[in-house]
Amino acid sequence: MSGDTGSARISFDDVHVGFGRGAKRVEVIDGVSFDVGAGEFVSVLGPSGCGKSTLLNMAAGFLAADAGEARFDGERITRPDSRRGVVFQQYAIFPWLSVEKNIAFGLTLKRNRRSRAETEESVRRYIGLMGLDGFEKSLPKQLSGGMRQRVALARAYATDPDVLLLDEPFAALDAQTREFMQELLHEASQAERRAAMLITHSVEEAIYLSHRIVVLGNRPTTVHEVIDVDVPWPRSPESRLQPEFLELRGHLEGVMRSLSGSAFRKAHP
Amino acid sequence: MTALRRTVLPFAGFAVVIAAWWLAATLITGKDVPTPGEVFATAWSGLREPEGLLVDIRLSVVRVLIGVVVGCALSLPVGFALAWFPTLRAMFDPIINFCRALPPIALTPLVIIYLGIGEEARLFVLVWAAFFASVVVLYEGIAAVEDIYVRAGRALGATDLELFRRVIVPATVPQMFVAVRVALGVSWATLVAAELIAAQRGLGAAIQRSASFFRTEEVYAGILLIGVCALLMDIAVRLVQARAVSWQERVVR
Repeated sequence: MSGDTGSARISFDDVHVGFGRGAKRVEVIDGVSFDVGAGEFVSVLGPSGCGKSTLLNMAAGFLAADAGEARFDGERITRPDSRRGVVFQQYAIFPWLSVEKNIAFGLTLKRNRRSRAETEESVRRYIGLMGLDGFEKSLPKQLSGGMRQRVALARAYATDPDVLLLDEPFAALDAQTREFMQELLHEASQAERRAAMLITHSVEEAIYLSHRIVVLGNRPTTVHEVIDVDVPWPRSPESRLQPEFLELRGHLEGVMRSLSGSAFRKAHP
Repeated sequence: MTALRRTVLPFAGFAVVIAAWWLAATLITGKDVPTPGEVFATAWSGLREPEGLLVDIRLSVVRVLIGVVVGCALSLPVGFALAWFPTLRAMFDPIINFCRALPPIALTPLVIIYLGIGEEARLFVLVWAAFFASVVVLYEGIAAVEDIYVRAGRALGATDLELFRRVIVPATVPQMFVAVRVALGVSWATLVAAELIAAQRGLGAAIQRSASFFRTEEVYAGILLIGVCALLMDIAVRLVQARAVSWQERVVR
């Protein structure tokens, strides 16, 4: 089930998370294990409330498991680290900084300080990669939601992380922008070849972007299924119409429907 | 429409109130209610007099400025400390709200006993008022800095100090302006109480002097000038604010 642990960047090892103590304890995540290998794009798909984002926050170092552990390059994750870049669902770019200063932010910190020339080059590179040319001096308030998430992606890439952690980054965008952003992210990850872990509830998004999809079940959450995506690379808008894509989409939509259905029945018996 | 709303309507608001005042002054005959015209004339001649109201204005403005600057300089570090350390906040939040609720005029007897009747006594009252008004605004604003920016900063590799300097402080600047504006308002409101402490000059002192001679229109003129000064200072702060935090997204209603 898990990938080759030798090359695993992020690994979850029998992770448990719950709330409360003693008899009142409620398990939320009940023994989840999977890996994200070097250069691998893994999506975590699951019904809402299954604890997907909890797993990402653990990988980022924002919270710890109650039992089991999340590891990065074999070491237990205890705190945030710029080797693991994070893109959030909410717009988290700093509103007081221009686009280019947002992207340069990580590179001006002691942890990853670069020379001015290197910083400028890196900012230019990711402005180009994310199609932000001409908006270098713009303030976030002047940008649309899709543009803000492009800045957030560029900012995360700029510190040269080994893994990108993406917490439903396109969930707040309209359908058209979302598809465009998926294509942009796909192209960027083709160019960058970094490991990535994407939290999503969109079947289409998971298939389009991933090497592998980890499907989580209902609470208390376990891994329901792990699927290798065999849609040919690189992907393009036409990929969405390929038989492999459509077949997998049909399968996953059925799984998601039954998972959400059983969650609904549990909540409303 | 928004440009019209911003430039014309505030004046229209004053016009309505002045019209109502004029109507009241002409209708009420038993009591001494001067008309707006009489009050404006009194204020104008007071301002033109050598050693007149301009001196009072200057003294009061300087007092208020010192009160606000010192009060905010004290509330800034205290505000950050209370926002950063929840234990401190839990300890001191009630006492701060207790002190904030005390009317400054109730403090003046004690201030006279301990600090005498000099300038420092008057300034103490103003600093007290500015401090307690602004510190609450500050620490509640700082504590409300969106967690998402803090997380983003940490994920990019910021140390605690970098997080403070480069995320918390800039995110808090809008709140600092709010704190200064609140402190300004409270200081002007406290001015009369402060100048009750044996002040010879100043707008608050001028009002008390006029009152003891039953010069009602001078009392009105003094109140009017306090209002005008407070309004102008608030406008000045808002102009600086608009430039300093132009990155802020404003919700247009």
